[in-house]
Amino acid sequence: MSLGVNDRPDPGLPASEPPPAPLKARGRVLPSPISGQELVLIAVIAVLWVILAFATPAFFTAGSIQPLLVSTAPIALVGIGMTIIIITGGIDVSVGAAIMVCSVITAKLLVDQGLSLPLAVLVSVIVGALLGAVNGLLIAYGRVHAIIITFGTANVFLFLGLQIFGSNTVNGIPQTFDFFGRGVAGRTLGIPHAFLITIIIAGIAWWYLRHTAGGRHFYAIGGDAHAARLAGVRVQRRILLAYVITGLLVGLGSCFVIAQGTSTLDQSVGTGKELAVIAAVVIGGTSIMGGRGSVLGTLLGALLVQTVTSGVTQLGWNSQLSDLFVGIFIIIAVGADLIRERARRAT
Amino acid sequence: MSATVTDNAPAQDPKPKAGPAAESLGSRLLRALLTQRIVLLSVLIVVVVVVFFIMDSGGYLTAPYDTDYMSSSLINAVPLVMLGLAELLVILSGRGGIDLSVGAIVSLAGMVFGFAYGQWGWPLWFAIILTAAFGGLCGALNGFLVAYIGFPALIATLATYYAFKSLAIVINSQRPISTPPIQELFSITRSVELPVIGGQLPNVPLGIFTFLIPTVVVVWLLLARTTYGRRLYATGTNDVAAKWSGLPVRDTRFKAYVYAGVISGLVAVVTVGQFASARPDAGVSGSGMALPAITIAVLGGVAITGGIGRVAGVVLATLLIVWLNAGILLAFIGNEGSQYQLLALGSVLIFAALLNGITNRRYGGSR
Repeated sequence: MSLGVNDRPDPGLPASEPPPAPLKARGRVLPSPISGQELVLIAVIAVLWVILAFATPAFFTAGSIQPLLVSTAPIALVGIGMTIIIITGGIDVSVGAAIMVCSVITAKLLVDQGLSLPLAVLVSVIVGALLGAVNGLLIAYGRVHAIIITFGTANVFLFLGLQIFGSNTVNGIPQTFDFFGRGVAGRTLGIPHAFLITIIIAGIAWWYLRHTAGGRHFYAIGGDAHAARLAGVRVQRRILLAYVITGLLVGLGSCFVIAQGTSTLDQSVGTGKELAVIAAVVIGGTSIMGGRGSVLGTLLGALLVQTVTSGVTQLGWNSQLSDLFVGIFIIIAVGADLIRERARRAT
Repeated sequence: MSATVTDNAPAQDPKPKAGPAAESLGSRLLRALLTQRIVLLSVLIVVVVVVFFIMDSGGYLTAPYDTDYMSSSLINAVPLVMLGLAELLVILSGRGGIDLSVGAIVSLAGMVFGFAYGQWGWPLWFAIILTAAFGGLCGALNGFLVAYIGFPALIATLATYYAFKSLAIVINSQRPISTPPIQELFSITRSVELPVIGGQLPNVPLGIFTFLIPTVVVVWLLLARTTYGRRLYATGTNDVAAKWSGLPVRDTRFKAYVYAGVISGLVAVVTVGQFASARPDAGVSGSGMALPAITIAVLGGVAITGGIGRVAGVVLATLLIVWLNAGILLAFIGNEGSQYQLLALGSVLIFAALLNGITNRRYGGSR
């Protein structure tokens, strides 16, 4: 934990031990359903949308919001899994490469075999889960730091993906995935299916993490894996599960990625997605140290990142500037969280 | 984590206190192989080189894999070693220290170098100093966020990665700078014959002498022969203990990021020379420069938890990867080779990491 200016590190009292609960928290075990960080994020997104609406009248139309929601979906979806991983104190930098493997296998099968929609999604999800299981097994049972293993598997996945591509792009992908796409086929009552599915899964994950014993175990592992083990949590199985869940979501997210693209899939698919996902998660207030975080925050973080990206484009600025703003938002969001944390411990 | 009693000997003590006579030569060798990364890497390098020599003599390679080829492939080692050392400094500083932004600093500092040397016509030495100082400034931003504000290093450098990457592209409207002076810089990648004994040895890329060896020597002196080096190891091993021993923990950690930035600035000059052009995406294209650098550092035995790691490990790890990559390039036709390089890098890293885990359990920590 951080040793800030105001901390007085006392060797007798570990810094991570929370102060005695104040009276107002009487009877409440869970943190409040919506954290301060999430409220701030909602406010920031609202302000950005209002500013954008004034700056470019075209922003507040369905034709602009719907694509925004569609392109938020894959990042937010994979972000749900990444949130669980980061809550356990791990990280997965291989999701970008995993998206590449899932989408190239699925796209090839769509072209060659003409799979139906449910079957294609199933294939993609299974491939994703396998890749996630490789990460999870190595991290949980090899007892190696997650960032090192996933750096390694990222390279291996990239190799797999490029081999399957075979130095060609995949051309002529059929319209099977239009259900998830930007077009009319991808919407019900004006709401894009991709976004709707993401919201539903996020809701399930939110409930699971917050209100089931299994979900709370992830927080326990992130807080102190050793203590969690002594308390009877099967730490290794839980960690494996976190990576498999992320793999499943990567599989589904890859279908969204294919749906958003053109009928051609090239080798750059998934590149840099891992950092975008991690950015969304940390902007959403999930602590990279583990033990704290929520799916709602990740959803808002992904929406903020996508708002900035599409806002910069719509304002006619250089689209590369959006990365600068993403960087600044990460600093502000995490910095505000650090200051709040410090204030909380000072009282 | 369950270290046995005999394993409590001090880290620097080469011989264990009890029971060396009871150990057979074989188990001592195995122990050295597993606990001393430098021994393991040396053995692996020999294995790789021998395997490719055999494949070469069997005619399986598309071009001869000989000492000339190995020597000329060393040009690829220059940025790798330097960035690996930058990561070494940062990871050593502990508390999850890591720098994802080195590639982005290389891009941005490279553009600054391009402006200074290529457009404003500054003298070369002055442009290099400016570039290194600018890299240091970028590193200082990381260091300030991590050491003084208390950001987790992964997040701070992720944020600055985005910021620097974006600035590097925007600063010259996505255009590279390749004016004549920059193009002439390509000459730093040429190979030279060593004086006196050079006749018998293959020619060596000039960048080895102008950038690689000075950086290696300076970082080694810094870590092994200065107070700062001792402080960095102390901070990385246990920053609370270091703080209570009166060490300037924050200042030490801050400087590690600054030095990493300076090294990245120098790498920017090398990269501009190699491309003969200051490219705005030099350090971030593809999987970027940060990931290979971190891989090299970890492969070189740097513990991601901080406080453990040596310059020699990073150098040997780079040699292993560079000569492995060079061989792979000859073993496959077309861009298959570059794909198998990814596989090799990934598998070697996972192998090394798992080995660390086994070593930790069996001998109570690798040294």
